[in-house]
Amino acid sequence: MSKRMIDVLVNDKKKIQVAEGSSLIKPLLEAGIVIPTLCYHKDLTSDGSCRLCMVEIEAKGKRRMVTSCNYPVRDELKVWTLTDKIKKHRKILAEMYLGRFPNVKVVQDVAKQCGASDKTRFQSDITDYNEKACILCGKCVRACKEFILEKIIDFAGRGIKRHITMPFGEVDPHCVGCTYCSYICPTGSIEVIDDLNNPFDPKLIRDHGMKVNAEMATLDSGQCCMREVGTANIVEVMDRYDLLPVHNFKFGSHPDTPKMDSMVLRQKYFSQEQADACWKGCSMACAKAVDGFKLKTGPYKGQKVVVDGPEYETSAGCSNMGCFDPDFVVEFNFYCDTYGIDTISMATGTAFAMECFEAGLLTLEDTGGKELKFGSGDAVLECLHEMSRGEGFGLKIGQGIRVLKNELKKKFPEKAQWLEDIGMEVKGLEYSEYVSKESLAQQAGYSLAVKGPQHDEAWLIFMDMVNNQIPTFEDKAEALYYFPLFRTWFGLMGLCKIVWNDVVPADNAKKHPPQVAAKIPEHVENYWKFFEGMTGKPLDEQGMLNQSARVHNLQRIICLMMGYGQREDDMPPYRAVGPVTEEEYLSREDRYDKQLQDNLNVDPTKLDLQQKMELTREFRYEQYNKVIDAAYKRRGWNEKGIPTIERLKELGIALPELVGIIEKYQN
Amino acid sequence: MINIKNLQSIAKKEQDKLSKYKGMLMVCTGTGCVSAGGMDIKKEFTNALVRHKIENDYLVVGTGCNGFCAVGPICVLQPDQTFYQKLTHKDIERIVKNHLLEGNVVKDLLYKDSSDGKLKEKMNDIKFFTKQMLIALRNKGLIDPENIYHYLARRGYESLRKVIIEMDPDQVIDTIIKSGLRGRGGGGFPTGIKWRSAKKAAEGGIVYIVCNADEGDPGAYMDRSIVETDPHTVIEGMLIGAYAVGAREGFIYIRNEYPLAMTRLEKALDQAKEAGLLGSNIMETDFSFDIKIHRGAGAFVCGESSALMTSMSGLAGEPKAKYIHTVEVGFRDKPTVLNNVETWANIPVIIEKGVDWFTSIGTGDVKDNPWNGSSGTKVFSLVGDIRNTGLVEVPMGISLREIIEEIGGGIPNGRTFKAVQTGGPSGGCLPASKLDMPVDFDSLTRAGSMMGSGGMIVMDDKTCMVDVARYFIDFLIDESCGKCTPCREGLFALNQILTRICHGEGKEKDLEDLREISQTITDASLCQLGGSAPNPVISTLDYFTQEYIEHIQEKKCRSGVCKNLIDYRIDENNCTGCTICFKNCPVEAITGEIQKVHKIDLDKCIKCGICFEVCKFNAVIIK
Repeated sequence: MSKRMIDVLVNDKKKIQVAEGSSLIKPLLEAGIVIPTLCYHKDLTSDGSCRLCMVEIEAKGKRRMVTSCNYPVRDELKVWTLTDKIKKHRKILAEMYLGRFPNVKVVQDVAKQCGASDKTRFQSDITDYNEKACILCGKCVRACKEFILEKIIDFAGRGIKRHITMPFGEVDPHCVGCTYCSYICPTGSIEVIDDLNNPFDPKLIRDHGMKVNAEMATLDSGQCCMREVGTANIVEVMDRYDLLPVHNFKFGSHPDTPKMDSMVLRQKYFSQEQADACWKGCSMACAKAVDGFKLKTGPYKGQKVVVDGPEYETSAGCSNMGCFDPDFVVEFNFYCDTYGIDTISMATGTAFAMECFEAGLLTLEDTGGKELKFGSGDAVLECLHEMSRGEGFGLKIGQGIRVLKNELKKKFPEKAQWLEDIGMEVKGLEYSEYVSKESLAQQAGYSLAVKGPQHDEAWLIFMDMVNNQIPTFEDKAEALYYFPLFRTWFGLMGLCKIVWNDVVPADNAKKHPPQVAAKIPEHVENYWKFFEGMTGKPLDEQGMLNQSARVHNLQRIICLMMGYGQREDDMPPYRAVGPVTEEEYLSREDRYDKQLQDNLNVDPTKLDLQQKMELTREFRYEQYNKVIDAAYKRRGWNEKGIPTIERLKELGIALPELVGIIEKYQN
Repeated sequence: MINIKNLQSIAKKEQDKLSKYKGMLMVCTGTGCVSAGGMDIKKEFTNALVRHKIENDYLVVGTGCNGFCAVGPICVLQPDQTFYQKLTHKDIERIVKNHLLEGNVVKDLLYKDSSDGKLKEKMNDIKFFTKQMLIALRNKGLIDPENIYHYLARRGYESLRKVIIEMDPDQVIDTIIKSGLRGRGGGGFPTGIKWRSAKKAAEGGIVYIVCNADEGDPGAYMDRSIVETDPHTVIEGMLIGAYAVGAREGFIYIRNEYPLAMTRLEKALDQAKEAGLLGSNIMETDFSFDIKIHRGAGAFVCGESSALMTSMSGLAGEPKAKYIHTVEVGFRDKPTVLNNVETWANIPVIIEKGVDWFTSIGTGDVKDNPWNGSSGTKVFSLVGDIRNTGLVEVPMGISLREIIEEIGGGIPNGRTFKAVQTGGPSGGCLPASKLDMPVDFDSLTRAGSMMGSGGMIVMDDKTCMVDVARYFIDFLIDESCGKCTPCREGLFALNQILTRICHGEGKEKDLEDLREISQTITDASLCQLGGSAPNPVISTLDYFTQEYIEHIQEKKCRSGVCKNLIDYRIDENNCTGCTICFKNCPVEAITGEIQKVHKIDLDKCIKCGICFEVCKFNAVIIK
């Protein structure tokens, strides 16, 4: 959202524009005006404590002095940055600093800016002659709070006794050793004494970690709100773009989504007014929790529990089952966690069973009397409890879509194709919760993923459909090469992917062409620098991709050994590619008709529904096949989806054991 | 449960009940009298009534602070107003027997006015009371603060009933604006305007009401006394404010060092809730408002609005920049109305008696613009070198002289007036030449002091003004939060200079330095604590420059306070040779024999002043 820009006249000559509500210091510094300060930091909340940045302003006819670091501009104003009054006060303030901390470099520098040189005027018994004396700027306190969401260090003591400390003056065991207090300290008064796993170049790691923290602290609240709601923020975005799975991936949005979106979770459910992170010290802290939730079913019925989540995939899994009651979402989340069941597989598997039930392929007898229709949350929870006990229809869902699908195919051979089309699994794994019909890149991203259609290897839907960063066929093929390798690399390094793209530099989209912007180059560089800082070995894109490619190809070959590594194993069910049923086609008829017109140059008005659906299917599978051909090629695989021996040689992993496995698939 | 229909009949019933007594013994149980044995006096009265079997004819009531703390413990017999003072356990039997049973006033327990030497039988004969005008303290000495029915009998909650049934919220705000009521906590900001801004900022959403009972000025206890005397008036004021701005939740921020006030407040809140005057559906209408107590840990800076709200949210009480006011973004980032105890206590009376009555008291014409004057009254705690220390409520515009000389009874011990400090530690010290100045917000500010919350410290001629400035700056150094540079470093520097001057090591340039540093602290500090902190220095520099100059140039402290600048000597004419001084001297600096003039060895003397204190013949003098 862009803010109103307000005219500010600086020193009677220069006009600058400041966004409403923003402070003055940043635009003033950017305009090349000297503003001395000791406590201001561009990425931290300004607390106006050093008072050096004072300027005189006139707004609404009233003239006064304000601190430029935290005075919020609300009306047109005039600013004078160097009046006699300002000069006088700054000089005295600088002398106060000089008197107390005469040997600190930043104090000397600021004093010079303020025309102060007298070190004796404010000299006293408490003068600290240390070059690294703490000057009470409080940047470390704010960094701890705002970057790391901790309060390990803070001020203690009032007035002249104010000092920085940890609680009760002892080393706080909650300190995670993130070292940002030390990093941000302008005087070097905070030293890190731990070896921190002895990295090769700790400063390099901190320099780039600092960028991540600063972006989180300053940009997140205007981007994804990961700190506030975590990944749940994607629910409403996906609904808006018709990508949120509803009723076993039939549709991409639903009028009831607002009942359980992140706004609802934020207002009524997420209860911890603090960051909740996988590990203490994470500056994103996107995990969320619901406290004191009273369970309505199952072995813990009536008890109040803490529920970790819900995250996007859990919420979207629920919409996929047609369940939009947030109480259900939280309870479902709790019991899946408690039983050790993946919410995604559970939701997608159940959604498949629901569609079969509604189509009459499953009956009350099969389900043990449960009306397993879309939206029947009670039935879902009962299945979940059964699954945990290894009995009833819950057990059937627990065995996965592939098993249930094959059983039903035997029972209803005439429905075999339909079951194949709507059974949302590839390589035996249930789909994650994004509707991929309109995203060719995501279709292939899902089904080429080595472990099955899981978004972790190639989550391309956002860049394809929301950001429109990979429009052409070539772009998509390139993305299917780059991103799975890049994301495999995270796994190899044990690094979190979320800080790569759930916050982006403010100018990312402006600075790069879309295909490059999708990679978020500055953030990729952060990761290389982490690697280099830890190991001492510099890394670039090719180096990184090659590290991954070795593992990725090895994984593909293992997959092949296990019977899932060929082209036919990469074929998605049609529901992931296009509209399976008439109901589906008709629900988005305008879109599909237009595609027929645009892509195949046929006049949809001249065709009946059946013909339109057949043509759509044909066209979409053709496109799919083309994109995986291109992706195979880019990956160095042959048209059967098998790594070539040349590729293994290129990567230096043409080991006889591996070559032996793939040899017979080479031609 | 009390509702809008039965409130008046309940009040009437209580009035009838109380009027059946022949008399009521109003025993002061404010903090001052309690510490002097007030509780015991109250108990003894009850016992004595039982002993004489007249416990059904007289009622003993423990009241809040009577105000005349100098002569406690106090008991006033109502309705005839006989004022008994400085009571001890053994006096009670006499009062009950002689006065209540036999109708003879016990003369030796009456107050004697030193100005005319006469005994004053009735409370209203005593000048300390006659010049006062009670609004915020209207129920002092007349009710049991722990009994809501006493408050109801004095038309309590009648104003709340009135606003609910007769006025819409904007009318209430309008009334308060027109009354000209300005905040009694320090700033003097017009209360009604504050309410209007908060309501506007809330746009129908959440707005909080907060009562500031964090009275931090040394020697000031106005707010504590109001809460101890009449807690329900504060609650009623907050209820009316909540009704006006649309608040549903309120807080009273009170310092934990006020245990009696806290207990009475808690009781009052419980009683009000039980009576249906607080909580959901007040007086069985759809107006709901609840009040919670937040205990403060006693930091002076927490009286500042943003620091108070930071403290309320569980963090260390440090102020924030107020470029956006707390009426817009305050507690929990919501619009917040913060008024102090005394301000809230004024509200029910303004509603009851109206704008015309309220604006007839005080200075200026405030009906069109509350900034144009100071309407109503102000409570001061009158302390220091003054005969009648205590709590007084006076109309705005009264002169300092009337307060100090007539109400306060002037300076005791034959000394003369030197200065009065108003506005708490960061107020200013005003000299005798300002005694005829009217006491109101703007006059005090113009004179270089401020109203503050109402502390008034009187100083006689043996007070050193440089030392006074040093003392207050020293207090402020401890109470500064230390967040911003000018207040933290600047006050410390002022103290260094003042200490130097008091030690006789002052330099010519010090005066200029004091002014310059003070100016920077005033202009550049983050909050009003810092902004007003140099006032004691600036005002003493303005009005008592000569004393500074004497300290610096002549190394002389005319008041004999600064030890480095004085010597203790023996006045040979007065010394009787009683030996008491040399017996008490801790360093054996005094020599002499019985009935011979003693001598002080100045090299050994550590200027502790004990000889001066113990000499009965004014033979130890300060040079």
